[in-house]
Amino acid sequence: MIQGLIRGITKKGALFFRGIRDFGRFISSIFNSFQSFRYLRFRSIYTIAVNQTRFTGFDALPLIIFIALLLGGTIIIQATKNFPKFGIEEFLGNLLVIIIARELGPLVTALIVVSRSGSAIATEIATQKQKKEIQSLEVLGIDTTLYIVFPRIVASIISIFSLIIIFDMVGFFGGYLLSLTTVYIPLDIFFQSLLDSFTIADLIGTLIKSFLYGILIPLICCYYGFKPESDFQIPIFVSKAVVRTLVVIFIVNVLVSALFYF
Amino acid sequence: MGQEERLRFDEVTCFGENSISLIDFSLTLGEGENLVIFGPENSGISLICPLVVGSIADYEGAIYYRGQSIKDFNYVELHNYRTRLGYLQAGYGLINNMTVEENILLPLRYHSDLSSADALRKVDELIKELRLEHCRNLRPVDLLKYETLNTAYARAIALNPDIILLEHALETQCLINAQVYLASIRKRIFRQGSSVIVVTYEPERYSHFADSFIMLYKGNKVFEGDRDAFLEQKNPYLKQYMEASLEGPMKIV
Repeated sequence: MIQGLIRGITKKGALFFRGIRDFGRFISSIFNSFQSFRYLRFRSIYTIAVNQTRFTGFDALPLIIFIALLLGGTIIIQATKNFPKFGIEEFLGNLLVIIIARELGPLVTALIVVSRSGSAIATEIATQKQKKEIQSLEVLGIDTTLYIVFPRIVASIISIFSLIIIFDMVGFFGGYLLSLTTVYIPLDIFFQSLLDSFTIADLIGTLIKSFLYGILIPLICCYYGFKPESDFQIPIFVSKAVVRTLVVIFIVNVLVSALFYF
Repeated sequence: MGQEERLRFDEVTCFGENSISLIDFSLTLGEGENLVIFGPENSGISLICPLVVGSIADYEGAIYYRGQSIKDFNYVELHNYRTRLGYLQAGYGLINNMTVEENILLPLRYHSDLSSADALRKVDELIKELRLEHCRNLRPVDLLKYETLNTAYARAIALNPDIILLEHALETQCLINAQVYLASIRKRIFRQGSSVIVVTYEPERYSHFADSFIMLYKGNKVFEGDRDAFLEQKNPYLKQYMEASLEGPMKIV
C-alpha cells in the first residue's frame, strides 16, 4: 500500500514537472515569436485586442459592479454588527482599503475574468485548432503565437486593471451606502478615512497584481487552448485551464501581498 | 519546364502519422507549371503540402524554393516564405468568427504594405472574380460549399503567391459551381505565371489543363507523366486507380 502511494506520488510529481517544462517551452515559443514582432502590422491584431477588451472588460462590468456592491455591503454589515459603534467612522475606511482594495478587489476581479474570459479563450483556441483555423493561419505565414496570444495579453492587462479600479470604487460606495442603514457617517469623513488609509503601496500592489493577472490568465488559458488533440479533449483542457489559472491566481495574490504588506 | 525553377524536392523521405510515408520523392516545378499529385488514401500525398509549407520539418533529403533549402530558413524567413505560397488546405480552414470579406482581407492586413483602402479594393476584385458579392458579409457557417471553397481560394491567392497549393479542394464540391474556381486557377497559371500543385483523389477534374501528373502508392511514385500519358492510362496502377478497381497491382487491405 505504501509502495503504491509512493509510486502514485512519484507519478504525479513527474507529470507536474513535465507540465511545468511544457509550459516553459510555450513561454519560450512566445519569446521566440517576438523575432517577427517588427513585421507585425498592428492593424491585423487591433480588432482582436479591441474585441477581447470589450469582452473581458466592458461586458464584465455589470457582474463586477453587482458583486462589488454586495461584497462592500457585506463587509460593512459584518463590521457594524461585530465592532463597537463608537469611533467606527475612523476604522471603516481602513477596513475597506485592507479588505477590498488590497485583497478582494484584485482577487475577485481575477476570479470573474478567469471564469468568463479565461474559459472563453481556452475554448475558442481549442475549437479553432480542431477546425484547423490555427493551421490555416500558420500556412498564411501568420505567427500564431503573436497573433493569438499577444493581443489577448494586452487586452487582459487593460481590462483587469480597469475592472479592479471600478470594483474598488463600487465596493467602497456600496459599503458606504449600506453603512447608512445602521450608522450615520458623513460622506466627507468616510472618504477622508479612505484616503488616509490608502497608501502608495496599495496602488503599486494593485498595479502589479493587475499586470501579473493580465499576463497569467490569457497565457495559461491560451496554453491549454492549444493542447487538445481531438474534439473530446476540449472540455478536459478548458477545465484544466480554469482550475489551474485559479490556483496560480491565489498563489500570486499571496506572494504579492506578502511582498508588500508582510 | 517553365523559365525558372520554383520548387524542387530532392529524394525526400518522410514518415508521417498513421504509417503514412513518402520515399525518395523528387519533383521539380517551374514557373507557370502545374502538377497534379494523386493516389489512394495512405499513399503519402497528404504529406506533400505540409512539406512544402514547412509544417513538417523532420524529413530526409531536401526541398528547395527558388534554390534555397527551406530547412535552412530561420523563424522569420519561414514565415516570409509562406507568404509566397497560397495554400488552400483540405477542409478550407476559414476563420469562423470572420466574414468572407475579413477572411480574404486577413493576409493582406497582416503581410501587405497596401493601405486599408487598397487592400479592400483588392478584396473587392477577388470577391467579384469569384462571384462572392452576395455573401461577402456572411460568416463561414452560413456559406454553401462552393462559397466556402471560393473564399478559401481567394484568401490563398490574395498575396499573388508564386506557388498555389490546392489540397483536396474539389472533393466535396458540385462540378458546376466549382467552375468559377477552376477558371480562376487557369487564369492564374496561363496569364500570371503562377505554379500550381494540386493534391487530390480526383485527378480527372484537372485533366483538361494540368501539365503533368504524379501518382503515389505506399509512398512511392508509381506513375509520372504528362496529360496524354495520364489520359491513355497505360500504367497499370493508374488504370486500376481510374477504374476504381480492386483488381490490379495495388492491394486494398
